[in-house]
Amino acid sequence: MAATVETKQQVEEMAEQYKYGFVTDVEMDMAPKGLSEEVVRFISAKKNEPEWMLEWRLKAYRAWLKMEEPDWARVDYPKIDYNDIYYYAAPKSQDKPKSLDEVDPELLRTYEKLGIPLREQEVLAGVEGAAKVAVDAVFDSVSVATTFREELKKAGVIFMSISEAVHEYPELVKKYLGTVVPQRDNYFAALNCAVFSDGTFVYIPKGVRCPMELSTYFRINAENTGQFERTLIVADDDSYVSYLEGCTAPMRDENQLHAAVVELIAHDNAEIKYSTVQNWYPGDKDGKGGIYNFVTKRALCKGKNSKVSWTQVETGSAVTWKYPSCVLAGDGSVGEFYSVAVTNNYQQADTGTKMIHQGKNTSSTIISKGISAGKSHNTYRGLVKVMSGADNVRNYTQCDSLLVSSECGAHTVPYIEVKNPTAQIEHEATTSKISDDQLFYCRARGFDEEEAVAMIVNGFCKEVMQHLPMEFAVEAQKLLGISLEGSVG
Amino acid sequence: MQEQLTEGYKAQAETLMGTVPGADSLRQSALKEFEGIGFPTNRTEEWRYSDTKALRAEEFALAGTSTSAEIAAPLGETAARFVFVNGRYAEELSDLGDLWQAMPIRPLANHFMANPDRATELIRGNDGVSLLNTALMRDGLVLSVPAGIEIDEPIEIVHVMDGADQAAAHTRHVIELGEGAEITVIEHFVGDASAYWTNSVLQARIAEGAKLRHVRLQEEGEAATHTAKAYVNLDAESEYYCVNMSVGGKAARFEAHVRVLGEEADAHVDGVSLAGTGQNHDTLTHVSHMVPNATSDQIFRTVADTRGKTAFQGKVTVVKDAQLTEADQSFKALVFDKTAEANSKPELEILADDVKCSHGATIGQLDDKAIFYLTSRGIDPVTARKILVEAFTADALVNIENEALRETLVERIRVWMASRAENVGAGE
Repeated sequence: MAATVETKQQVEEMAEQYKYGFVTDVEMDMAPKGLSEEVVRFISAKKNEPEWMLEWRLKAYRAWLKMEEPDWARVDYPKIDYNDIYYYAAPKSQDKPKSLDEVDPELLRTYEKLGIPLREQEVLAGVEGAAKVAVDAVFDSVSVATTFREELKKAGVIFMSISEAVHEYPELVKKYLGTVVPQRDNYFAALNCAVFSDGTFVYIPKGVRCPMELSTYFRINAENTGQFERTLIVADDDSYVSYLEGCTAPMRDENQLHAAVVELIAHDNAEIKYSTVQNWYPGDKDGKGGIYNFVTKRALCKGKNSKVSWTQVETGSAVTWKYPSCVLAGDGSVGEFYSVAVTNNYQQADTGTKMIHQGKNTSSTIISKGISAGKSHNTYRGLVKVMSGADNVRNYTQCDSLLVSSECGAHTVPYIEVKNPTAQIEHEATTSKISDDQLFYCRARGFDEEEAVAMIVNGFCKEVMQHLPMEFAVEAQKLLGISLEGSVG
Repeated sequence: MQEQLTEGYKAQAETLMGTVPGADSLRQSALKEFEGIGFPTNRTEEWRYSDTKALRAEEFALAGTSTSAEIAAPLGETAARFVFVNGRYAEELSDLGDLWQAMPIRPLANHFMANPDRATELIRGNDGVSLLNTALMRDGLVLSVPAGIEIDEPIEIVHVMDGADQAAAHTRHVIELGEGAEITVIEHFVGDASAYWTNSVLQARIAEGAKLRHVRLQEEGEAATHTAKAYVNLDAESEYYCVNMSVGGKAARFEAHVRVLGEEADAHVDGVSLAGTGQNHDTLTHVSHMVPNATSDQIFRTVADTRGKTAFQGKVTVVKDAQLTEADQSFKALVFDKTAEANSKPELEILADDVKCSHGATIGQLDDKAIFYLTSRGIDPVTARKILVEAFTADALVNIENEALRETLVERIRVWMASRAENVGAGE
């Protein structure tokens, strides 16, 4: 199936079409370049943090110094000079704005351009009649606005930036921070613990069903900075929350580092649904620039019958290293992972999940769809582990890869480790291109090749897409189109 | 520890200098590399499920000669039988039949003299174990099957270990098939209860249109460490059928590295592992599709009983130009109880777009419904479980064309099941 000249052109144009690639010109407040104990202290001081928080950071920093950067992932990038990065960059302002009117209009315009509604009366662009979504907007190292806080507060839901939470709810933060992803968990997590600047804190009290979707929108803007945010979501007994995460960055020739940590904790019968549409700048068509996305995401299903569901649509970033995982500790807990990862041009993605079954009667489902185009590499790497005490575990894994150019690669590396005879583990994986038969069938029914391919790719991803909240599904589908349209054919 | 081991193995290699003409420089460079990397550990990705404690703990001396070894009975009718006792060729125990009339049979030493560069050309993915094989190889069989020669009866290579506590045998076999040639090679590994180490490498080159069937039956002694590798290169339209059956040993590992270098070649690597008390059976396969239009298939069935551990790491690589490759992997594991463990890592590395590659893996226990079905028809539960395990493992033996040989292996499964009757019938 040779690509037509027309589609090739389209792909080339597409690479120029990263529509979030603009830069916002605001005055920034930066930490000195590089990483040292002073910088860690500087960040902590900037945030006016209590002593225990600073100690926690320093402990992580010292641990990080002794750790080595992992190299087992199937990604290839020049060595990162950790002293050539600004670890803190915040839009200059006297105080935290009290209302949106006080926020730098330049920033508001940025979010308007990105289609992120920061004014509460607005709904997400392009979706009529969409439900209300509360947004925490993180711009480089700080949260600039959090919407619907009052309304959420009435329901008892705590939704605020993590730096505020450190002050307002220190007990909660202290109790949960670092319990799912310990400081020494891995190289990038340790780095994050030392220098994380902001992020989101969510607490859903017992028996509360969060009245609206919560979301955080991450934006990297400043040059030479890294973004290190931290998200902590705690769902107490019998609660429910759906959380969305989106991200973009300007187009730049140099690479920028994004090393986030996300921790989810679900107590008895609680459910957390975590959806990500990751659209960091992927670099240009020659592989220049783009974000290094090295993220540690993990959920602890602590309580009985708790449930965590990860859904991700990964289309951006030059290099992705990300394994949203579930530790299924509570009996009867459920973990789910639905993923679509699209790579084009020189993008590299090494992503997947880990399902650690510790509790009895736990179950997990993994559906991963990888689509590689251009000269990209797309790897699924996953682990399903059944501990010997975990009776009656059920797991179903399906990872399919679709190859749409002759120069890309699709790799599947699933680990299955079982120590209990009552486990029932199934794993299936396929790698193929769009079959000529499928194309022929569609074309015989009057669809042109482009339409047919779009339809087939859509069908390929459908199992995952249907798990996205409606507001995101629209965006995700559009994104898929942009990332792939034309490269198939 | 590593230093001490290296020194020990260096001294061993010293005693072998000159025994295999042409191999001395190979030994030296292998030792040098071994000095740098040592034995693999669980932190070595390819060895994460293997047990190398015994290898790392203490040096294994070169096994001495033995005249009292108990030689296993042939596995059915054979065209020829080559017996290696403690790693040395035992002429008086071997039976060359008429084979010598059909092809040149040489000892390893001769091969190196004739083909100094061929010795290690097939060896890839060197680790401490295969490096030591190169450094310490002493004996082996070299078969060069001329073009067009077809031999129906299997050629059996028997490896026997006897009274070799903390001693090792490093054998190296070389098999070359000319165009259109066709043979079956059986490798049978047996040994006594001493804590020995068998370290065997077989390298095969299969020319255009040739076919090699390779059946391995690993029945090492209960304290043995078994590491074996097969390196196989396939030319156009050639076929390689490998079936590995692991029953014995304490820590046993087999690796098959197959490179498909010619179009329309067909590679099959299948296997059965039966891991009982305290046994660790690990299998690693790597099938590399280097050219378009070839196929490969892998079927593995493993059973882990009380404190048994099985692992399967299977990798299929399809390089950029290897379009129209079809590669399949099927891995299924049974776990009998909570002290048993099954691990699997089926890996696909695909760099071409027009391919069909898939793998399926399942881990679980016997289906209660199937047992119920059989018992409702008057079969007692223990027999029912035996029948199901036999059927489960037999999937991996279907590619053995020689019926008698296949039946011999199935019988081994039955015997193993009978020895495990306690657990097999458990829970009913």
